[in-house]
Amino acid sequence: MQSNGAEALRAYIRAETSKCMFCGFCEALCPTLYHGPHRGYGPRGRVNLARLIARGEASFTSDVVESMYSCLLCKACHLKCPGGIDIVGVVRATRSLYVLSQEVSA
Amino acid sequence: MVLNVREILLLMAEETEKNGIPLPINPRVITEWAEGLGLPEKGDTLLYTGGLYQLMPYINALVKYLEVLESRPSGGFLLKAARKLGLTGLAGAIAKPDRREVEYSHKVLRAIVKLLQSAGVEFAYNPSADGYSGVLLYDMGLDNVFRRHAVRVYESLKKAGARRIITIDPHTTFIMEKVYPEYVKGFDIEVVNYLRLLREKGYKPSGNGGRVVIHDPCLYARELGIIEEPRKLLADAGYEILEPRRSGRMTYCCGGPVESIAPRLSRKIASMRARELSEKGRRVVTLCPICLANLSRAGEKLEINDISLYLSGEA
Amino acid sequence: MSSTASDLKKILGKGKVIDDPAIVKLYSKEPSGMEGEGAIAVVFPESVEDVRRIIRYAYETSTPVYPQGSSTSLAGSAVPFERGIVISMERMKKIHEVNLVDGVAIVDPGIRIDDLNVELARYGYMFPVDPASSSVATVGGAINSGAGGMRGAKYGTMRDWVLGLELVLADEDATLLRVGCKTVKCRQGYDLTRLIVGSEGTLGIVTKATLRITPLPEQVVYILAFYDKLEDLAQTVVDLKASRITPLIAEFMEARTVELAKKLANVEIDAEGHMLLVGVDVYREAAERMLRLLEETARKNNAKKVYKAWSTEEAEEKGLFAIRRNLFTSQVYYTRQRLGKENVHVLIEDIVVPPSRLVEAVKRLDEITRKYGFTLILGGHIGDGNLHPAVGYDPEDEEEKKRVHDWYMEVMKLALELGGSMSAEHGIGVMKKEGLRMEAEALGSPKMLDLMRGIKQVFDPKGILNPGKVV
Repeated sequence: MQSNGAEALRAYIRAETSKCMFCGFCEALCPTLYHGPHRGYGPRGRVNLARLIARGEASFTSDVVESMYSCLLCKACHLKCPGGIDIVGVVRATRSLYVLSQEVSA
Repeated sequence: MVLNVREILLLMAEETEKNGIPLPINPRVITEWAEGLGLPEKGDTLLYTGGLYQLMPYINALVKYLEVLESRPSGGFLLKAARKLGLTGLAGAIAKPDRREVEYSHKVLRAIVKLLQSAGVEFAYNPSADGYSGVLLYDMGLDNVFRRHAVRVYESLKKAGARRIITIDPHTTFIMEKVYPEYVKGFDIEVVNYLRLLREKGYKPSGNGGRVVIHDPCLYARELGIIEEPRKLLADAGYEILEPRRSGRMTYCCGGPVESIAPRLSRKIASMRARELSEKGRRVVTLCPICLANLSRAGEKLEINDISLYLSGEA
Repeated sequence: MSSTASDLKKILGKGKVIDDPAIVKLYSKEPSGMEGEGAIAVVFPESVEDVRRIIRYAYETSTPVYPQGSSTSLAGSAVPFERGIVISMERMKKIHEVNLVDGVAIVDPGIRIDDLNVELARYGYMFPVDPASSSVATVGGAINSGAGGMRGAKYGTMRDWVLGLELVLADEDATLLRVGCKTVKCRQGYDLTRLIVGSEGTLGIVTKATLRITPLPEQVVYILAFYDKLEDLAQTVVDLKASRITPLIAEFMEARTVELAKKLANVEIDAEGHMLLVGVDVYREAAERMLRLLEETARKNNAKKVYKAWSTEEAEEKGLFAIRRNLFTSQVYYTRQRLGKENVHVLIEDIVVPPSRLVEAVKRLDEITRKYGFTLILGGHIGDGNLHPAVGYDPEDEEEKKRVHDWYMEVMKLALELGGSMSAEHGIGVMKKEGLRMEAEALGSPKMLDLMRGIKQVFDPKGILNPGKVV
């Protein structure tokens, strides 16, 4: 997912995350969730936090940033998602949104 | 649990813009391994290491430093201060990597060169065209920094006359094969992974034999479909391959990719995986420098080595 | 920060309380599509004492609490609708003991069923209750929802496998109660253990469970067969029963569902017609005889195609499970196509009828679903009569949502009419409260609900445990 500015990123995240039905099947294979402090450290959490961010219903609080940046991008969750969501793509795009919001790469 | 992400991103962005590496170190560390090998510098096919093997000793030093910070309650704040103080502690820590790790990375790179040569692959190594691929920038969401960096890498490869590059680790292979074409306009360099190339050449390596446990890296297994190649090469080299409970496409991440953001989490995952591997055997094969570093950090009594050393009979 | 959250942080320590609204939202949803707005914080107890501290505080301040495993309920069982605290049991996930002599495992509620089974497999044992969500679902959640699974006909449901429980009661002292035994035989007055199983967090907070475990089968042989006529498929199962065989699993999928699911399954199986998947656990020496019997029984009943596997691994390799696994996914993809949008919901029903009424149930379900203008996706556990009809709909279309609701009610009525029940293994939650009322009435026993309300009152006088659920 190449970013063409925040709006394109948000549109991509909204479309991709709208496929999530919250079944949680992705969680079984996630290495970070098992050791993490809460559901935000797993794919279901990341996808749903990304959705909130993209819809402007949440901001980059430290918990949300931790959720996104603790992802290994290992794609184990992709093996199990019945909705075929590009979970790692969503995480990367959300990181890009964060970077834009922080003007780190200006 | 996660360190001050913003500060780490800033550091990576600034350093990459300055000298092409996301850490405050001399870029020469990427090419020094080839000094004195007398490799040809000109050719259509270039060995492009992407610098990951070479950077690992420095990243390990960084992680050690970060782990100390993370263990203090105000970890994030300290890291911020360190950056503003001219990176004193940080740069100091990174500047002193474990020499044995540096030598090990050189040994791996030379083994790979030897394997390619024995298989009859014609290639050149041009130090001015080798360098960091920028994969970490891409992974961290530093899109603009990554794009600028990728264009620079592409231009120096073109300047060196590369039509095809040989990559040697999963992350660099992935970024060059799948991501560069998307980010770099007109990207027209063919990317070939060295394990695939060795198979294509029908090369039969010879190793020391015995039983080895294989740890598939996520990107080879799930993104690039490189699963059979290492197994065939190892089998040809005389090894009996033991499969851990989770292997192939179902492999379990070593935890490495978050080492510089959440070192403690990274270590926990590595320990879990190392335990799982140890249930099958003590000798472990890794195919990625990040896996090698992170699983080694886990502290299980394992004898972990890069596949190239097994294939060249050096492990 | 709300005063509740800051109080809880004082009581439990900072790391065990999260009140970031975005994270709290992750604990306010379910795959049923339901979402609640009431949670002010999520707490993560790491010990029984933590749970007791939370309950003492909740009792004192009359704050509702919503215990949760992994939020895979399909009945709205764990959604926080009123202002309150979510108690996530996810950090309590230890296996305390595996005792082969006694045939029990003593575990924390937060361990996922599959993770428990990975551990038990080391000893050649298993915990046999296997809801489709077993990779995610926790033991505590399964206890509270009274979960079942594919192996229901042979192994029953959670109520058959929970021998004893430790729970925290919602009283002033947050009393720690231990009920049940470590043995299969146990006559401890009224059976409170079974009362808690399936109580959906409304009677107490389960903090530990003594589970029965059983040896892994030596070998399982499988057939996958396809039929033109549903009656033939059902007769196959009847004949197997007459041959005194209790299959480990007997799964069925209706023909149109097979057609949708095979597109996603990506296997080399000539899948056409109604599908029957039967697995029988055997001793190695009996494998050949059993597999022959399965095949003959299917063929005798006009199965068009029969695929065989000598082991679970072979069945996996040959893709015998692949179509069944895509039951849910196929409804998702089908509905996306039908509506031309990605954001769709799938409502999965959960009824049970006596196996003798299955053929009739399937035909009636098809009629009802047509009547409401949906496409039926149907699969189920044919061995125990449990059916999971499902339809997909547009969650943003109010009219369609109403139609789905009406369909849902009529399906439950059908189950009652055929002498079955409106909930087999998913529980009541909020979605089936009306169904439970209908069922009590159908049995001529509205008093049942009064008794349940009375029990709730005794266990939870202040009504703070998962309020609004079950009764």
